[in-house]
Amino acid sequence: MTKINKSVEDELIIARQELAFQKVEKGKRAAELGIANIELVFQDEEKEKRAAELIIANKEVVFQNKEKEDRAAELIIANKELLFQNQEKENRAAELIIANKELLFQNQEKEKRAAELSIANEELIFQNEEKEKRAAELIIANKELAFQNEEKEKRAAELIIANKELAFQNEEKEKRATELGIANIELAFQNEEKEKRATELGIANIELAFQNEEKEKRASELSIANKELLAFTYVSSHDLQEPLRKIQTFCSIILENEKLSEKGQYNFERMQQAAGRMQQLIDDLLAFSRINTTELIFEKTDLKIIIEEIISDLKDTIQDKDATIDASGLGSANIIPFQFRQLMYNMISNALKFSKPDMPSHIVIKSSIINGKKINNKKLSADKDYCHITVKDNGIGFESHFSERIFEVFQKLHSKEIYSGTGIGLAIVKKIVENHNGIIIATSELDKGATFDMYFPAN
Amino acid sequence: MLLKQMNILLADDDTDDCMFFKEALEELFLPTDFTAVHDGEQLMLLLTSETVKLPHVLFLDLNMPRKNGFECLSEIKRNEKLKGIPVIIFSTSFEHETVNQLYKSGAHYYIRKPSQFSQFKSLIQQSLEFIAQTLTEQPNRDDFVLKSVTINPII
Repeated sequence: MTKINKSVEDELIIARQELAFQKVEKGKRAAELGIANIELVFQDEEKEKRAAELIIANKEVVFQNKEKEDRAAELIIANKELLFQNQEKENRAAELIIANKELLFQNQEKEKRAAELSIANEELIFQNEEKEKRAAELIIANKELAFQNEEKEKRAAELIIANKELAFQNEEKEKRATELGIANIELAFQNEEKEKRATELGIANIELAFQNEEKEKRASELSIANKELLAFTYVSSHDLQEPLRKIQTFCSIILENEKLSEKGQYNFERMQQAAGRMQQLIDDLLAFSRINTTELIFEKTDLKIIIEEIISDLKDTIQDKDATIDASGLGSANIIPFQFRQLMYNMISNALKFSKPDMPSHIVIKSSIINGKKINNKKLSADKDYCHITVKDNGIGFESHFSERIFEVFQKLHSKEIYSGTGIGLAIVKKIVENHNGIIIATSELDKGATFDMYFPAN
Repeated sequence: MLLKQMNILLADDDTDDCMFFKEALEELFLPTDFTAVHDGEQLMLLLTSETVKLPHVLFLDLNMPRKNGFECLSEIKRNEKLKGIPVIIFSTSFEHETVNQLYKSGAHYYIRKPSQFSQFKSLIQQSLEFIAQTLTEQPNRDDFVLKSVTINPII
């Protein structure tokens, strides 16, 4: 039991301490309540002052309220007035809108009308102009008609005259027609006769055409035969040269190297001469056949060059004969070059050959252009120009009656013992002149030289 | 060059002419070095053979069998090795145009085979002398045709 007493005693001490503290706290709380009481008394006083102020303010508000009610009544009256005025104005505005629309419509109508009037105005101006023009035209047309009228009157007068003339001519023509009818019958008869004759001629013509054809056939056959013959001459002559030359050469070897009797030597020399003549003959025949077989091709050729070449070829003979050759006036001509060369060669070598033994030979060659009518030869035409070539010498010449015969083939004026030759040279000349469509004329007298004139168509 | 040293070639099918030629050389106491062929083919075979000693001068006939003188001349003148050989035409015929053509083809001289043996000799001698002097140069056209100095006796 001691321990429980001790705990109760401790609890009693703590409770007594608690009561002491609560007594202190209650004293603090009583002081605080006294202060709060004083505060409440003050607040009460303040609320009473406030209440008195509120009563005054209330009275004021009541007064203002009354004023406001007076004013509101006035405003209602004024408001009513304004409402009325407003209505009036709206009415007026509606009226004005209607009036405005009306004016706008009237305005548009007026504009349309103005535009229509403007177009109508232009139309009127145009019509006016047209009428003026037409008026001017009518004036001119009027004048023209007046003029035509006059002309027609004149023409009518002329036609009356012409009519009378025609009537006269008509009568004449009727007379002529009758005459022509008679003539026509005559012509018809003649025509018939002519037709008969034409038929006869037609038959004759067919016959002639047939004969002609036959002749042409024959001519071409002859031409072929001729060519063949000439070709044969050429080939055979050419091939004859070879053995002939051999005979001559062997002959010359025997004469040089063998000892022969006088008679034997003579005979061999004669054989050699005979062979020499045969060689000349073959040479000439060859030249003659070449003239006939080769084609005739004309070329523009310088005659001067041809003569110079011939002089050069013949220079030994020229020297031997102490000959002078003067050539002048030579120009270009359209010729067959190789034939013309042969022609001039034969002319010049002939002139040299037949020169006088006791006198230097002088050969003159001239060329010029001459008009046909100055030549006076039947074979040449008078309205053409000719190239005139002359070869003139001072040799032995010949009697004038031989002047044509000398051109015939194998024709000679001298025996071969005096002047060697085959008689072909001048025949070749004549043939070549003819191939050039020219003529050759020989003029001479014995011992007085010879002149050969050749004429070739110029161009 | 001395004529005696000349190496001469003749192309001619005519045995008589070959004989005349040989005799002429002998009578002129000219070179022994003389060869003759008898047609164009033989000639060209000889000239183009490997071992040939080219002649100093060629005498060329025109009318030969198998290949004629014109063909041989143009073949020779087209051949670089042969074109320097002087060629002398040796023919019976004589036509102006042919002569012109041969000169243009490059032949040196033209000899028309003469009818007298004395002319034969003189023409051979004359042509050999000209060749010996001018060697390979082609003469002027005026001197192309060689003419015999001996004139045919006219009785």
